[in-house]
Amino acid sequence: MYDAPKLGANVEQKELKIAARGVQVFYGETHAIKDVDIDIQAKTVTAFIGPSGCGKSTFLRCLNRMNDTIDICRVEGDITLDGEDIYDKRVDPVQLRAKVGMVFQKPNPFPKSIYDNVAYGPRIHGLSRNKAELDEIVEKALRRGAIWNEVKDRLHEPGTGLSGGQQQRLCIARAVATEPEVLLMDEPCSALDPIATAQVEELIDELRTRYSVVIVTHSMQQAARVSQRTAFFHLGNLVEYDDTATIFTNPRDERTESYITGRIG
Amino acid sequence: MNDKHIVSAFDSDLELIQAHVMKMGGLVEEAILDASKSLKNNDDELAEQVRANDKAIDLLEEQINDECVRVIALRSPTATDLRVVLSVMKIIGNLERIGDYAKNMAKRTGILVSMTPVDGARGALRRMAREVQLMLKDALDAYIQRDAELAQDILERDRDIDQMYNALFREFLTFMMEDPRYITPCMHLHFIAKNTERMGDHVTSIAEQVIYLVTGQFPDDDRPKSDHYDPSLHSAE
Repeated sequence: MYDAPKLGANVEQKELKIAARGVQVFYGETHAIKDVDIDIQAKTVTAFIGPSGCGKSTFLRCLNRMNDTIDICRVEGDITLDGEDIYDKRVDPVQLRAKVGMVFQKPNPFPKSIYDNVAYGPRIHGLSRNKAELDEIVEKALRRGAIWNEVKDRLHEPGTGLSGGQQQRLCIARAVATEPEVLLMDEPCSALDPIATAQVEELIDELRTRYSVVIVTHSMQQAARVSQRTAFFHLGNLVEYDDTATIFTNPRDERTESYITGRIG
Repeated sequence: MNDKHIVSAFDSDLELIQAHVMKMGGLVEEAILDASKSLKNNDDELAEQVRANDKAIDLLEEQINDECVRVIALRSPTATDLRVVLSVMKIIGNLERIGDYAKNMAKRTGILVSMTPVDGARGALRRMAREVQLMLKDALDAYIQRDAELAQDILERDRDIDQMYNALFREFLTFMMEDPRYITPCMHLHFIAKNTERMGDHVTSIAEQVIYLVTGQFPDDDRPKSDHYDPSLHSAE
């Protein structure tokens, strides 16, 4: 009678994927991220939550150097992916972003066919030698994006013709086509209806078996539903980082408690 | 932490639920006191009142349960809010059981009225019930004040109740062995003692909920039991 499986017992210490130490981010004079240390585990969904302007998206964008594209943005500290410094001069940001894929808030398919949307990444990274191989990669990515059945008969129609939820899953398929190791998602469901949201959440849960997923979300219930680890950011600080169940039942920090129970915005 | 939610209706929901728990607790305390008083004074009229009032306690439990379900469904409580709702659901179950035991005491009082009185036992039973009622009052105070220390103290005090029960058990055995005419009243009195001891356990469970509510953790179950008897005879668990 004592060996009943525990709910949520799949939360275990996994292999380390990304380690950030003493990360500071400045936008000009604004100090957006203050001395953040965090370990992100492999094959785990990690949620970043916090009020608007707390720095969660900024920090997410540090993880694949998306902040490099902003001139006034300065990043300090160390971020390693599998032990290698991603801000090292020898690291090509384009190669890095193939390993650390990203999905954005608004679905942003390229103005190309569904097929070409997915094939774009594998083509520029030279992941296939011929058409047959590329077809295979595209199908596999669309299947992982849980959209293959809906688009297999119209692969050459424009991606922009799909519904919002389908476009977002297409973007996820596009992101996984380059076989990334980490998938960053910046509010991937905020433009979707509840059904499409549920489909994307189910997809995130499946993706976890192969990738580390880091998701920024404004919906605390979504963080609770999809993640195993949750980090709470407030005013540029990482306030608390723990198992999701702990954060939502018994957080240690009063600011976390206030935020998740809806007492501060 | 801020006391108030941004959505103020959430606060009023939680406040209303807790006010109802306090009301239910008050009714249960009254039931314990009145039942033991009716036993002590052989007052069947008061006992009848206790039996009738139990209905109100049961209805209140149902109502609070519905309110908790509603808050879970509509407001998705988390952290402390979640623990408030979960602890309320357990506490009302405990209160309802204590109410049932008080009602049972009142039923047996109605039967005992016409029987040979057993010297001293009713006074001791009333003191025991009074002690349980005080523990319940403190447990509910600890709940409202979110006072884990006071709740911890109640866990300790339940040992006294267990000891009182053990002493009464011995006494009833002696009476019954001395004179078989005492067997029927003593059996009833023993059930009353046992039920009062069980009330103490339910109060303890409420105190544990208070500790869970405040700390997020249940107390370690290392409460010493004070049974000096052969467990095959009985146990105060």
